[in-house]
Amino acid sequence: MSWVSLLKANVRKEFIELKRYLPNTLATLFMFYIIFLGMFSGIQFIGDPSSQDMNTQYVIVNYLFWFLSMTVMNSIGFEVVNEAMRGTLEQLSMSPLGMWRIMLTRLVATTVIHFILIVGLLYASMLTAGQWLNLDLITILPILLLTLVSMFGVGFMIAGISMLLKQVQAFLQILQFLLVGLTFLPLSVAPFLAFFPFVKGVDLVREVMIHGMKLTEFGFMDYFILVVNAAVYFPLGLAIFLYCEKVAMQKGLLAHY
Amino acid sequence: MVVGENEGRMRNMDSIIEVNNVVKTYKKRKTKEQIQAVNDVSFTVQRGEIVGLLGPNGAGKTTTIKMICGLLIPNEGSITINGIDTTTNRLDTLHHISAVLEGNRNLYWRLTVRENLEYFAGNRGQSVKEVKDDIDMLLKQFRLKDKEHELVNRLSRGMQQKLAIAVAMLADSEVILLDEPTLGLDIETGYEVRELLTEIAEKHNRTIIISTHDMDVVQALCERVIIINNGSVITDDPVKHLLKVFELKSYTLTLGSELDDSQIEKIKEAFPSYVYTADAYESLLEVDLEKSEHIYDLFDILKENHTIVEGIDRGTINFEQVFMKIVKGEEVHELGVSS
Repeated sequence: MSWVSLLKANVRKEFIELKRYLPNTLATLFMFYIIFLGMFSGIQFIGDPSSQDMNTQYVIVNYLFWFLSMTVMNSIGFEVVNEAMRGTLEQLSMSPLGMWRIMLTRLVATTVIHFILIVGLLYASMLTAGQWLNLDLITILPILLLTLVSMFGVGFMIAGISMLLKQVQAFLQILQFLLVGLTFLPLSVAPFLAFFPFVKGVDLVREVMIHGMKLTEFGFMDYFILVVNAAVYFPLGLAIFLYCEKVAMQKGLLAHY
Repeated sequence: MVVGENEGRMRNMDSIIEVNNVVKTYKKRKTKEQIQAVNDVSFTVQRGEIVGLLGPNGAGKTTTIKMICGLLIPNEGSITINGIDTTTNRLDTLHHISAVLEGNRNLYWRLTVRENLEYFAGNRGQSVKEVKDDIDMLLKQFRLKDKEHELVNRLSRGMQQKLAIAVAMLADSEVILLDEPTLGLDIETGYEVRELLTEIAEKHNRTIIISTHDMDVVQALCERVIIINNGSVITDDPVKHLLKVFELKSYTLTLGSELDDSQIEKIKEAFPSYVYTADAYESLLEVDLEKSEHIYDLFDILKENHTIVEGIDRGTINFEQVFMKIVKGEEVHELGVSS
């Protein structure tokens, strides 16, 4: 019951803040849409006309995953820094449920709320490009869920590091660009990236949305890598977070003001 | 091992907080120099007691409070809440504690008053439905009902402070820790918060530790004070006792003439906490006497220059004066600790 109340409280907070600061939310969405338009125009004017449609479809999937990865993994870092500066991080860590549970429900809340925005962006992009992707939810959802689990693991790592480093914002800014690289780079170019937190997931979703692959058409290794990534990154991220929390409590870093 | 722990709990049934020989050191970021924030601090707090934690800036009050909350891990020593160790069973102890650490900074400024209360309750695993009546009651008690849908960033500092205390109250924990609850408030709001705290203490029977510079709060609320200076406890005594002791020790002498430099030097040496004021109308000397017979030593010094004593008054003293006397002359601390 306490998990449910915790999740409800954090989904509600996320939703209230998004709604209350709607102009900010819309501006972020608009900015991402403009980025898409820039990439779309690039393909139209400079790209190879024979692979234009395919490239556009790749761009749509990749940039939406970039948005998702930024929301899930990067924003938690900024949130921890802001909360430490404001003085609310100490209050969160005084919850008898433990700060990690609050952070987990926040990650879930952020993902759920932003998923609605991502669907909006997806349709806006498809409409603009005139390219309709295969939205096979039965195939996409299990892949996405496993990918999100490993993303949450990285989110925990970033949240933990953000507790310890005061000047973490610069790193978080750079991370945004690293995420671009990881979401846009095809696995065929660098196969080892399959063992990075979410790259395999993005690759499989691309296969579904662009090439119309079905759940049953993927091989054992594809699922194995997804499951291993989720099973390794989530506990690893959580362990790093808990360790960082302990160090922060030893060094008195829960409040940065 | 388990038996020992249980024995410990049985033995300390009345004390809810036990701080045992706690040491906390920090390393300075740039110089890597070790700073001892808290040095071998020990005290206990009884169930239902209201204790003031006092000390000058940088004395180690906030560090001590944060260690009790489990937000800081001590380098040495242990802290238990209801017999549970804050370091080894941190989350368990948090069921028994809530705190207001930075007042209005502990709130979400983009949420309304009610949303803040609901959010923090949710973070402790309580549903909105479960806490609805409690929130309504607190809003009424804290006179925030008409502001319940107001964003926190639009509230006055005093209201934000009251909300932060209400959030701590909503947790329904046995222990409430308040770090500077009246800091930065104007006189009127400070008074209102003080009244509110008195009400909480009287009606809700909570164990409260208040760290403050506001001696009116101490005198009005606290039964006992622990004074920390340079990271160590220098006094741990009931407020009434301290007031009585210092009142007995404190004398004001009205003198017939001004003291000369040599007399002042001698008084300074014998009675370090003396206060001497002289103007065209009167010459007043305030001294604290460890023992009443020491007044004869004072008379000897006054006799040297034929200074006439026109009157002697037992001083009336407030807690601010007591605090200053203790902190300024740490040698008197034995008097406090011994009780």
